[in-house]
Amino acid sequence: MTAIFRKTTCFLASGILIFGLSSQVSGQSVGLPAPRLLTTTPMGGKVGGEVEIAITGDFLDDAGELIFSDSRIKATPKKDAEGKVVPDKYQVKIDKACPPGLYEARIMTRLGISSSRVFVVGTLDEILETKPNNTLASAIEMPVNSVCNGTVADRAIDFLAFQAKKGQRLIVDCATRGIDSKLNATVIIGDEAGRDLVVERRGGVLDFTAPKDGKYTIKIHELTFKGGPAFYYRLGLWEQKPGTPIERQATTRAVNAFSWPPEGLATAAATTEAEPNVAVSKIQKITLPADIGGSFFPAADVDVYEFNAKKGETWWVELASERLGRPTDASALVQKVVKSAEGEKLVDVLELTDIASPVKVSSNGYAYDGPPYNSGTSDFMGKLEIKEDGVYRLQVTDLFGGTRSDPANQYRLVIRKPEPDFALVSWAIHMELRNGDRNALSKPIALRGGATMALEVVAMRRDGFDGDINLTMTNLPRGVRATGLRIPAGKSYGLMLITADESAPRGYANATFTGTATMEGKPVSHPVHYASVAWPIPDSWGEIPSPRLVTDVPVSVSGIDKAPLTITAKSPKFEVKAGEKLTIPLVLTRRSDFSGDKIQVRSIGAGFDSGQRLDVSIKADTADVVLDLAKLKTPPGEYQVSFLGGAVAKYRHQPDAVAKAEATSQKQSLEVKQLEAEVKKLMDEAKAAPAEKKEQVQKTMASMNSRMKAATDALNVTKQQLKRATDAATPRDIADIVVCEPITIVVKPAEKK
Amino acid sequence: MPGEPAGYLLKFDPALLSSPVLTDSDRNCAMPTRFPNCVCRVGRVATLFAIAAIILVVTHAEAGAADQSERVSFTNDVVPVLTKSGCNMGACHAKANGGQKGFQLSLLGFEVADDFDSLVKEARGRRISLVQPGQSLVLLKGSGQMPHGGGVRLAKDSPGYQTIERWIEQGAVMDEPGGPVLASLQLQPEKGFLQRGQKQQLQLTAVYSDGKKRDVTGQALFESNDPAMAEVSDKGLVTIADIPGKVAVMVRYQGRVAVFNAAVPLGARVEKLPPVKNFIDEAVFANLKGLGIPPSPVCDDSTFLRRVTLDIAGRLPTQDETKAFLADKNPNRRETVVDDLLRSPDYADFFAAKWTAVLKNRRDDASDIVSNFAFHAWVRDSILANKPYDQFVRELLAATGTVIGNPPVAWYKRVKEPKNQIEDVAQLFLGVRMQCAQCHHHPFERWSQDDYYSLAAFFSQVGRKPSGTRGEDLIFHKRGMATATNIKSGAALKPVALGDAVPSIAADEDPRLKLADWMKSPKNPFFARALVNRYWKHFFQRGLIEPEDDIRDTNPPSNPELLAALEQHFIKSGFDLRGLVGVIVLSNAYQLSSVPNQENVGDRQNYSRYYPRRLPAEVLLDSIDQLAATQTDFANLPPGTRAVALPDNSYNRASPFLRVFGRPEGESVCECERVQSSSLAQSLHLVNAGDIKQKLASQTGRAQRLAKDKTPDEEKIRELYQVAFSREPKPDELKAAMEYLTEKRTDADGRPIDAQRAARENFQDLIWALMNTKEFLFNH
Repeated sequence: MTAIFRKTTCFLASGILIFGLSSQVSGQSVGLPAPRLLTTTPMGGKVGGEVEIAITGDFLDDAGELIFSDSRIKATPKKDAEGKVVPDKYQVKIDKACPPGLYEARIMTRLGISSSRVFVVGTLDEILETKPNNTLASAIEMPVNSVCNGTVADRAIDFLAFQAKKGQRLIVDCATRGIDSKLNATVIIGDEAGRDLVVERRGGVLDFTAPKDGKYTIKIHELTFKGGPAFYYRLGLWEQKPGTPIERQATTRAVNAFSWPPEGLATAAATTEAEPNVAVSKIQKITLPADIGGSFFPAADVDVYEFNAKKGETWWVELASERLGRPTDASALVQKVVKSAEGEKLVDVLELTDIASPVKVSSNGYAYDGPPYNSGTSDFMGKLEIKEDGVYRLQVTDLFGGTRSDPANQYRLVIRKPEPDFALVSWAIHMELRNGDRNALSKPIALRGGATMALEVVAMRRDGFDGDINLTMTNLPRGVRATGLRIPAGKSYGLMLITADESAPRGYANATFTGTATMEGKPVSHPVHYASVAWPIPDSWGEIPSPRLVTDVPVSVSGIDKAPLTITAKSPKFEVKAGEKLTIPLVLTRRSDFSGDKIQVRSIGAGFDSGQRLDVSIKADTADVVLDLAKLKTPPGEYQVSFLGGAVAKYRHQPDAVAKAEATSQKQSLEVKQLEAEVKKLMDEAKAAPAEKKEQVQKTMASMNSRMKAATDALNVTKQQLKRATDAATPRDIADIVVCEPITIVVKPAEKK
Repeated sequence: MPGEPAGYLLKFDPALLSSPVLTDSDRNCAMPTRFPNCVCRVGRVATLFAIAAIILVVTHAEAGAADQSERVSFTNDVVPVLTKSGCNMGACHAKANGGQKGFQLSLLGFEVADDFDSLVKEARGRRISLVQPGQSLVLLKGSGQMPHGGGVRLAKDSPGYQTIERWIEQGAVMDEPGGPVLASLQLQPEKGFLQRGQKQQLQLTAVYSDGKKRDVTGQALFESNDPAMAEVSDKGLVTIADIPGKVAVMVRYQGRVAVFNAAVPLGARVEKLPPVKNFIDEAVFANLKGLGIPPSPVCDDSTFLRRVTLDIAGRLPTQDETKAFLADKNPNRRETVVDDLLRSPDYADFFAAKWTAVLKNRRDDASDIVSNFAFHAWVRDSILANKPYDQFVRELLAATGTVIGNPPVAWYKRVKEPKNQIEDVAQLFLGVRMQCAQCHHHPFERWSQDDYYSLAAFFSQVGRKPSGTRGEDLIFHKRGMATATNIKSGAALKPVALGDAVPSIAADEDPRLKLADWMKSPKNPFFARALVNRYWKHFFQRGLIEPEDDIRDTNPPSNPELLAALEQHFIKSGFDLRGLVGVIVLSNAYQLSSVPNQENVGDRQNYSRYYPRRLPAEVLLDSIDQLAATQTDFANLPPGTRAVALPDNSYNRASPFLRVFGRPEGESVCECERVQSSSLAQSLHLVNAGDIKQKLASQTGRAQRLAKDKTPDEEKIRELYQVAFSREPKPDELKAAMEYLTEKRTDADGRPIDAQRAARENFQDLIWALMNTKEFLFNH
């Protein structure tokens, strides 16, 4: 193998393997085209207002309805003076009753519902950066109590200007990463001449009191001066009364926030930390259970709480700070106070640090080695078993807090009796392969006809709960069904498989995604939070995915595009005795050419999740896979099982667009030819026309020439469309996941010999 | 142990008496009008020198030769001979990993037991012959009787040879435990007031734990801290050269050090001193008066504005700034401009460039860009906000979290190993070089390996977690008792800060915070001193201690009173960097003219005048752009970004200018990585490099604009001088420039060239000429 070949070839690694790839895979991309809404300009609007929005995105062919996650925000396509729809522009009305906050915006397309982009509803007046403002002289004037929607260009600094009175307290808060932007913002308040006065580069807020009456500047740029449409911001400038707390602009939630708060936790803590509580004489005494709100402030803060506990008691200690969006790393130490003649001695009982992710998280290297969704956290949770009656001390610290002094680094500490429970989070599965293409991480649940899409589901178990968690998804579009592969007892990982019929019509619905467990004989259900990556990433070497929780779970079907390959079992249900082998006949329906001769699949689902690779010929219409229950050691029971693999399709994007463009082109060519003939005829007539008719003929000629030009222009446009459509429809190697619609396997007890 | 010498052999060396000792004393005596109060003293000194010379000759005769009847001590007699002979130098048998030809000695004899084993037990004992001591390999090779790569180190008739031979004759045994060990050294004299050209013999006495004393001058190692000012022979004879000032001679013996401090007066009459504006002036002028070096006068306004703008903001004053300042009649105008400069972002940019280089903000991989920009911005913003220096250092030392969330964490990306961390911290923030002590006792400091690893223990609880960003870790405090293991002794050592015990550190406490607490203590002897010395050097070209990051007992400051006063001022100000800069640049000592007078032309360390220096690479590039009214384009940065604001070293690769003029690569914690010297390559670059030509010929540049401008040529020339030198042209300069501009220009064929082209080329030439003057290239 040559070095060049090694460099350009993608190899699928352990998870989903495509077998039989050969040299033709160079230049292969990952993930079939998916509709993605990338920008809306502006990125928000005012409560009760109306705003015109321009959108951009990937694969937004036949863009239709712009949908928001709250029905109080409505969009209609913008129309020009002639009543024709202006592409990619919408009029958005925000109801007066719509609360300020973040909402999801998506667009329905030919391929289904797009990925989401945050849309902000605020209370300040909105300003839109409409002209270049990259010099002090071109600074945009910004009134106090307004928010500016802007985009930073590459190697550029945006300038804004405002007027302030001496002593006036003003807040400058720039929303970027928290509203899906790629901008790591540097925000500077300068004097009238643009000389820097105060700077904020870590996403914090600038709390500025004007030293004198006059004009001030605000400069915004990316930390490394990158820029482009993805580097947008909403910079808020408002007056704040002295001594009042600052309420910052809303931001999206990190993936690990799914596990907070525990079910039933009060909005506000029952107890507040009383500083200073580190010196022995000032240790804060509490009684259990406890619910405390505190902060890691000032720098190197240590908060100590003392309580009495009895032998045999079990308590669960959980703290949230990172999950509240703070950049902290909490740690706890529980010590027993032992008093003797020599004095007081502390004996370590329990030390708590991070809550580990139940699944391996991506290392963000070139090869994909795990999801980028971190369901773990630097907060802590653990069980405290009291072995002896006595006085105990719990001290909490921030391992990141040695030198930082920020009162906003708050925490919520809960010490409770065991309350077994769980929280769930889910995301679309990605291929494990040695390839830097991470575009497919930004994956809406937009199904092609005949496709099955897999979502990974991860559970965080609380307070010792270790039972089964069953997964369901309801309220789906017509022709779509979903099957949950449960999270088995003691485990943290399951799958949700969503299948669209080949003939499923175009449709969209906000699904209800739920996990249910049985506790004390009763079913307990919780919503499954859904996470997605904000941006497609073509090269993982240059960018790290930014995942976040989304507020809803929209499921859609294209109604036009079909899956390149559908694998189904001949029967939806099979029976087998424990310890025996089960042969499952599969049916392959191909709607595309593929690279290679065969693919490898593995069985998935509790009881059958072995990781063993099974070969399936991609050329044949049927294939048998054999499951060895002796090796799987699957106990008797009923199971939902599927097969997961990957294939490299020679994908043609929207081939019907080629035929359509060709037909239009032919029609327009004919029209042009006819017009040419008419023009020629008119010219001949003009030559022969008597003088008194010359003027009339000239007018007819001018009209004809005008028609001729319009027809030629239209033909040229169509030819360009045809070229684009032909390019898009040219077969391209695209690796993607193939999932078999799940089947039921009933494992019966083995016969006794 | 030889103990007290049984009897000195009295010898008189006429050569010594005829040495310049007496001659110079006589000369001093011949200057009663200049030193009216010194007559008696000098005469007495001369007498003392004569006596000392006699005593020293006595001593020399004894040197190294213990009484024949005494037992020879391996520790106290043999090892010093090996050291004096250079056998255990780093380049010889003390070379790491095997010494020379398999014969390994410890560096400068710090590990006596190891040396004994090497000499007596290793190589099947063939290095020593008890039967025939004279045939011992160590003597045969050392004396050149057998081929020896190191040459003759111990002549056969030398006292050192005889000492080792007698030790072998006595059985080549190790000293008994509990025997006398070296307790202290006594150097005579410890300090002196020496005239130029004068000689001074030093005498070193070893004091042992049993109270006995011995002259060891002959076995000691001598080293001058400034050979241009004073040389010292291996017998301890100091010869003062022709440069006035302070000089020190370090004397080493058996792991201990002593220092001889000499003040060398110029002896000129100091009749007039500039007014004293603050404590700096008091100390500098007192020193000058003491040394008899008359200072240059205070510089004019133009010079001051240019100097202080370059030194604080790393740029030339603009033409408008120059005009306004020169027109300002306010007596406080210098204070005003300093205050304005210190509040400017340019000050933050310039000093961020200084700090980020020594903090190794280096781009090794393209992915470093985010952390490098974040780190540079943190330094820059800290300076802009005038963050107290102790807080700045604390945030760096005890950084935790992510690079984006807390940019000083990036330092832990660059400096990963605890030993590198303490070495960098010690050198940068304490001015102490600890590197040697990692493997052996510091050769000319008091730092042992225990000191080294006790300092490293402060960094032993730095925890790392993967961050999700390639090459970057999350840094956190790892709970546990901080210790570091001495690789030699295997002892687990608790944190101790350079010999200063810190309170016990609990497992929950981040030891780095305790180190930061120790640093900012007003009693800390290093922290404030290192910084004020570093900043003093920034403004005066030469540190009060040189090199600025090598503070030790054996390298004394040239003006200890000034250093102490600066240190106290800085501590009392709450480690206010802006305040420190202000007090320095507002002193008249800083504002002295760089033009020397007849007397102070040779002064290089007493600040009797401003020492001109070439502009740093970035400042020079920006200055050229300012003069040519052009911009240098830097990859991925907004147009107009100044070179002095570049966040890391990566821009050097694409800029021959920055490389040629010595912009550092962030490889070293030492500011010496920045090349400030001049070279032929620099001259050639300025004369005809492509980028310089492009700037001169720029369509939007100053030459093009001036060529088109209709204002009188005189005005244009004034503009050029105001931009380049912050002053008006002198009449002869104006005349010469006018003549050049109005000279008829012809092409190669002698035909007159187009007037517009001629004007453009004339202005290009004029700018080029100004750019290549020393007045432009230097801060003066």
